[in-house]
Amino acid sequence: MNTVLSVENLSTYFKTDKGIAKAVENVSFSLNKGEMLGLIGESGCGKTTVAQSILRLIEYPGKVVSGRVLLNGKDLIKASEKVLSSLRWKEISVIPQSAMNALNPIFTIGDQIMESILLHENVSKREALQRTKTLLELVGIDGERWKSYPHEFSGGMKQRVAIAMALACNPKLVISDESTTGLDVLTQAQVIALIKSLQKKMDLSVILISHDLPMVTAICDKIAIMYAGNIVEWASTEDLLKNARHPYSQALLNASPDLGNPEKEVVSIPGSVPNLVNFPDSCRFHTRCPHAFDKCRQETPEFREIKNGHYTACFLEEEGNHG
Amino acid sequence: MGKFITGKLLQYFIVIFLMLTLNFLLPRLMPGNPLVFLAGEDVGFMSSAEKDAILDKYGLNDSILEQYGTYIKNIFTGDFGYSYQQKRPISELLMERLPWTMLLTGLGLVLSTVIGVMFGAISAWRRGTNTDANLLTVFMFLSAMPSFWVGMILVSIFSAQLGWLPVFGAESAWSNYTGMDRFIDIGKHLILPLATLILISVTSTFMIMRYSMLNVLGEDYIMMAKAKGVKEKVIKYKHAMRNALLPVATVFMLSLGFTLGGATVIETVFAYPGVGRLMFESVLSRDYPLIQATFLIITFSVVIANFLADLIYPLLDPKVGSRNG
Repeated sequence: MNTVLSVENLSTYFKTDKGIAKAVENVSFSLNKGEMLGLIGESGCGKTTVAQSILRLIEYPGKVVSGRVLLNGKDLIKASEKVLSSLRWKEISVIPQSAMNALNPIFTIGDQIMESILLHENVSKREALQRTKTLLELVGIDGERWKSYPHEFSGGMKQRVAIAMALACNPKLVISDESTTGLDVLTQAQVIALIKSLQKKMDLSVILISHDLPMVTAICDKIAIMYAGNIVEWASTEDLLKNARHPYSQALLNASPDLGNPEKEVVSIPGSVPNLVNFPDSCRFHTRCPHAFDKCRQETPEFREIKNGHYTACFLEEEGNHG
Repeated sequence: MGKFITGKLLQYFIVIFLMLTLNFLLPRLMPGNPLVFLAGEDVGFMSSAEKDAILDKYGLNDSILEQYGTYIKNIFTGDFGYSYQQKRPISELLMERLPWTMLLTGLGLVLSTVIGVMFGAISAWRRGTNTDANLLTVFMFLSAMPSFWVGMILVSIFSAQLGWLPVFGAESAWSNYTGMDRFIDIGKHLILPLATLILISVTSTFMIMRYSMLNVLGEDYIMMAKAKGVKEKVIKYKHAMRNALLPVATVFMLSLGFTLGGATVIETVFAYPGVGRLMFESVLSRDYPLIQATFLIITFSVVIANFLADLIYPLLDPKVGSRNG
């Protein structure tokens, strides 16, 4: 397999007044060419922090404290600022969480798309403009509207502009960071369908960050489930749906409705997410886990492969007493 | 855009008309006889023919409408009346004082804005560092000082103690400097009042710029620019600066309107022959036509500055232009 991105033991901490918040701890996963990975988890579990750590956009008081992010074998965490600038957007681009705020209000959208092309490629302004128009057409916007300012677009159209911008330099990897937040359901579906079709057309690798489990299971090849700063399970969508191993994954699947089975009873997960400041050694899910035992409260379970391509971090697997 | 400007022009025309009318009515609504203001205490010893002659001379025997017509006509021909204290036409006085005021307050506004913007941006870019803390302390200290006190301290150091700079005035009296020499002489006289003006007014721009820049730096589009691989410098100056400057531009335009009113306190401390001091003198001597004229100048310039702001703002912020036009 052709690995595009490999994240190894990535940890990102934030300094707070009350201590160190371990927002992302020991996260590992990888992504193959043309693959779509869904990164799932509830609000505040560290999905966006993972995305920002990959592009090294974390700013003080946050810091990537350990781990590697290998892009085609190159470690981005150790890369110089100059190398990083040249890789950003050319290799990895982002469709941001909220396109409303991600476009600079005082520049035309054409200027903003062209900026990334001119920055990374040695092309004339005229050619960059031509490509910008083509990109806009690609996402279903009239190319002549490159002269418009962000406030002249609706939310859904801004999101399309953001997608066009993400594709400007033909990147190999696109991170879509909850890029449908704030849109109505119909527009959401359109935007997601657009991302999926572009991914197929351009053979992109995509990390789709979301908290919409049914949507992610419908379109992603693989799924990584995050809980409180950890990836608790990473598997192919099929494996995960049929045979989720981590208690949190199971609970999450039980908590989401299934269109194919309207009779299914939706069960919520009791308790709430723990405070990540000065979190002690333990499984982060132990406070809400129905199967928790002593070891879960004292040690951190290792994230390891239990079956070909199926990873999880749970002591139940080690003990062999699952199910 | 054309429609936008015509609409604005109409609005401002109405404002100026109302303002002139008020300015015309106010002194006529005041109690007392205009003769007392015109001729002083001597009015008691005057015959009625003499009184009539004076009233006739100033057109005060005409009907109120006729007076209003003459007043408007005079304003638009640049005739603001006669200062009976200084015994000179007011337009002449204003023409003499306005250049000095524009030199002092105009330069003061431009320089304090440039300095405030520069340090405000640096402070925001280095938020939480020692540079930021030190800059904040210095600027807060400056803003806490009263202008007359700063002026006096500067005079006592640079003029009295060191003898480097002149104490008062806009240029040396009874000198016949020409060309470059005169230019240098005026510059020397300008330094202290200008420095005082900048010292006391720079903090507001600094604070606005710092706050505005901090807000902008927290915006998603700054992170996006970074994610796009845009260089730090370009992000700071192109993406962040222009957005952060918008509130500063608003304040600049508002202050611009008041520059023609001069800096009364500073002009008085340094005996600088500007409009601010003229206004102060006219109030002290109850020179009503002069008071009226200086106030009128200020209102006019505020209105003009607002109009300029309306014209310029759409160029700075694309959201403004399209919403109105």
